[in-house]
Amino acid sequence: MHILELRHVEKIYGEKENQVKALRDVSLKVSPGEFIAIVGTSGSGKSTLLNLIGGLDVPTSGTIWVKGKEIGSLKRKSLTIFRRRNIGFVFQNYSLMPVLNVYDNVALPVTFDSGNHVNHGYIEELLKELGIWNKRKKYPQELSGGQQQRAAIARALVNKPAILLADEPTGNLDSVTTVEVMGLLKTSCKKYNQTILMVTHNEGIAQICDRIIHIEDGRIVKENHSERKSSDAEEGGDFKC
Amino acid sequence: MLKLAFQYMRYYKSQTMAIFFSIFLTAALLSSIGSLMYSSQLNETENNRKIYGDWHYALPLNPQVLKSIKKEYKEQGFSLEQYGVKEMRGKITFPYEITFVWGDNSYLKMTDRELVKGSYPANPGEIAADKFTLSNLGYKGEPGEMITLEGRNYTLTGILKSPWAMDFDQMEIFVSKNFKSADSISTLYVKFREKGKLYQQLYAFLDCCKISGNEVENNDKVTKYLGGEEPESLYHILKFALTDEKGNFTYIVLKLQAEYNLAFYGMVLLLCVFSLCVIYSIFQISVSKRISQYGIMETLGIGGSALGGTLLAELWMLFLLGYPSGCFIGNGILKLFYRNLAGVFTNLSPSPKAGDVFFTEVFSPKADIETPQFHTAYPVMFTGFLFLFFAIFLIGVFTLHSLKKQPPRQAMAGDPSVLKGRRKIYSKRNRNLAGVVVRKFMFSNRKKVTGILLSLSMGGCIFLCTTYMVENLKIHAEMSLKSDDGLGSPYQIFLKSNLPGDTIPEETVEKIRELPQLARIHATKYIPSELTIKKPELEWEEYFDEQNKDSYFRERYGGICVGRGNDYGIKYNVYGYDSSLISQLKDFLLEGEISEKDFEKGNKIIAVANQDGQGNFNFYGKHPGDTILLKVPKKLDDGEILKFNNPQEDYLEMEFELAAIVSRPLAQENRFFNVNGWKNHPSLILSNPQMETLFHITDYSFMDIEPVLGADDTFSDALLQAIRDVPRAVLKDYRKAIQTRKNYLGQQQLFFTGIAVIFLAISLFHIMNSVNHSILSHRREYGIIRAMGITDSGFYRMVLGAGISYGIFTDVFIFLLYHIFLRRFMDYYMAHVLKFLHFTASVPMGILGMVFVLNLFVSLIAVMIPAGKILKAGVIENL
Repeated sequence: MHILELRHVEKIYGEKENQVKALRDVSLKVSPGEFIAIVGTSGSGKSTLLNLIGGLDVPTSGTIWVKGKEIGSLKRKSLTIFRRRNIGFVFQNYSLMPVLNVYDNVALPVTFDSGNHVNHGYIEELLKELGIWNKRKKYPQELSGGQQQRAAIARALVNKPAILLADEPTGNLDSVTTVEVMGLLKTSCKKYNQTILMVTHNEGIAQICDRIIHIEDGRIVKENHSERKSSDAEEGGDFKC
Repeated sequence: MLKLAFQYMRYYKSQTMAIFFSIFLTAALLSSIGSLMYSSQLNETENNRKIYGDWHYALPLNPQVLKSIKKEYKEQGFSLEQYGVKEMRGKITFPYEITFVWGDNSYLKMTDRELVKGSYPANPGEIAADKFTLSNLGYKGEPGEMITLEGRNYTLTGILKSPWAMDFDQMEIFVSKNFKSADSISTLYVKFREKGKLYQQLYAFLDCCKISGNEVENNDKVTKYLGGEEPESLYHILKFALTDEKGNFTYIVLKLQAEYNLAFYGMVLLLCVFSLCVIYSIFQISVSKRISQYGIMETLGIGGSALGGTLLAELWMLFLLGYPSGCFIGNGILKLFYRNLAGVFTNLSPSPKAGDVFFTEVFSPKADIETPQFHTAYPVMFTGFLFLFFAIFLIGVFTLHSLKKQPPRQAMAGDPSVLKGRRKIYSKRNRNLAGVVVRKFMFSNRKKVTGILLSLSMGGCIFLCTTYMVENLKIHAEMSLKSDDGLGSPYQIFLKSNLPGDTIPEETVEKIRELPQLARIHATKYIPSELTIKKPELEWEEYFDEQNKDSYFRERYGGICVGRGNDYGIKYNVYGYDSSLISQLKDFLLEGEISEKDFEKGNKIIAVANQDGQGNFNFYGKHPGDTILLKVPKKLDDGEILKFNNPQEDYLEMEFELAAIVSRPLAQENRFFNVNGWKNHPSLILSNPQMETLFHITDYSFMDIEPVLGADDTFSDALLQAIRDVPRAVLKDYRKAIQTRKNYLGQQQLFFTGIAVIFLAISLFHIMNSVNHSILSHRREYGIIRAMGITDSGFYRMVLGAGISYGIFTDVFIFLLYHIFLRRFMDYYMAHVLKFLHFTASVPMGILGMVFVLNLFVSLIAVMIPAGKILKAGVIENL
């Protein structure tokens, strides 16, 4: 069974002469535990695809199925709750709350669920795993880019989502930090059996993933499986950024 | 620069409109209130010309001066518009004190006493007079009539206009230039061109004519707003306040009010400052929205002057559009409603005892001021324009300075607030991290949030202060109407006599008591007395010295406060009230207790405290339980006895125990000590039975009468019928005066409440704008929270929390500011500057609650609007 399936998804922005077709007839199937890189040039539609999968935006036509549910059929509130419980996001600019420290940033999504108690043990485990436990009381602006992105990853993982969507998670990072972050994502994917879809325009980074999807002009133009194994990245990897 | 400023204005339409409307509304408010006060001052001056004469100064005249005036008429630092001469040619004292006067045409014109019938006397045996005087003397008042005065016959040749304000002890008979008299005192009345300060022209005139300024009389009711007196220098006022024992803050306030018209300029200044605060606050919000763009501009090399120029160009453009249009609309609206608001700032009170007394031929007080004219206060508008124009310049400079303090990189990053807090993990104890986020957004920058809350609470505070004052004004006005103005009853019967023995017999009072349409009657007994005070107990020596200088008091009573060995004898009114009137004195109670039973017999007495210029009450340091020594004449058969210099056996000397001290008497005698400028002369109050038992006074001196609701004119006819046989008894009808006074009060209440509501509306508008901005400035962060999975209802709950916090904190601010500072200030202001008789009425709980609920409601609406905007946009757009 596929954890994620897109059927003939189209996304059009604007109207009449200002229309921009961001995605055209995109169909895709993703299995649980896959680590997929979505690669393409700027404006190719890769971020739009990620936003549609994450339910942050709605397709103009076509359907998106996540864990067997067609998210377009969900009401706004149900979609929000579904997204919160099943999908984690990592953004290029980290999008951490500047007024909360690292620990609270990570805990934030859990507190939206009234029936869900904050699992402090799990947060501690995540932060230790990501190497920022000693930074838990720091505010985002007191951290380096890499540390902020780790915090963002921890926040994305805190609800143990089935799918992790990462939009250029290493876009703002230097090469060493990029390697570290990619290693963390790969580890997470493996450890928690998560499906990761990562947008990047860097072919080198994409090579670490199980599958690479190429998008051009809103269409999937090529799909291929990477030759590299996830253990390469865990071991430090030698891909080029 | 202009183009860029214009583009900003176009792009940030809502902020541009907010700044424009804040300028527009404040200009409308400033100019209209300015015009209202200015119009009131001009109308008051015009009305006072009718009452007190159209002259500025009067000075003793000698023929040489008159010659030199003719010679030096041309400009010598003054511009003399008109002058008139009056000569007093002796007087008679029976049946009234009447002065023989010769006046030239200019004098008659200036004092509004021109001929209405006949001709001015040309021979010594001819006279002219007004109807009021003639009717009091018992003549019809037709030219050709023979008038007998102190045994001499005169031919009446002309009838003059009755003066607007005249008492029966100020009657004048006009005679011819060649009328012979033993003594003749000439007075010159001058009127200068009313441009510039009058006192400067007077000094130039005195200098030019070589006249001493010692005996110049100032028609101060007319010259009050025309610079009639040289104001004391600020330096001297401050020096006295800071160095003299008697000097204090109240002294400064009162002195500034008297010398520099503080109320008017203070109000203008307050409005200017309020306008400035609102404009500044809204502009700050507008600027904060584009700090990042200024950062980019600076990075691109656009200098501080260019940035400042853009800021100023934008503000000045809006100011140049908003200010004149606000003034135009504000004045236009006010002009439409001016007739209904003319009494708001008027000082012309239609009272029977103030300087502006209303005795006319028919003895019906003239209650209305002349038709009020609207005058646009161009000086206020111009001052406001200059003030705000330069203040806006300072806003621009200040904003630029605060921008410069941030490096461009920080400016580009947006809101420069450093959002740090304690290093505490909130999620360990608090389930509601969204609430924590909201609180942190609000309070991370305490300085900023305090500024916002202060500005948000400003309107509410002004509203509460105004309401507090209006509530107390209502009660004060009612109390003042009954006591100071003597307008407690629509009808008053009093005696038109200076003879202390004249009274209204008890049977007349009984007759009136039986009238079918009578609701209530307070018949009051009266006796003049002298209170004995030990010399060290008297703190008011200067006041009584001044009163003693008045020739009226000197001649009739040998002075008001007379030294008698180690004591002072102070002339006092002693009233005998009925029990109902005594009971009503409880509203005026300062110390002690008033129980009607205490005054049925015995020697308990109620004293009316002296009130100093700063609103403090004192009765020679005495308190309830203390005793006072009072001397009253045994018989009131002649005027000499009121000097209290007769042998001791002519007087009764009695000791009384002070039961209570009150701030004012109610019914007051308008003769004897309560005349002209010396109204509200010190009083002591007993009951009618006490007056009879102690002083054997059975008859009454005056009555206050109120008919039942809907009583017709037959009631006043019946009153006239009842007093027909009482010599010198006069009925006064105050219905119109009371109505006018109540109308003025209604206008004042309406006006102040209206202004308070406008302030509140501006403030609420400001709250909406500030809160809206506060929410939208964190749009991205709210986008992140939405991306993290907060539901729409959860989001609304979160921002509602922010709204409630804003509302509650604003309410707390208002509550604390109002109760800790403003109310105390208002209490002080009402007690010592306005000298309210009552200033303890609180703002009604309903209004207090309404302000608090309104703030909360507006804050909620203010957060819901941007919250709706955020939710309407997609998560991605917010990110």
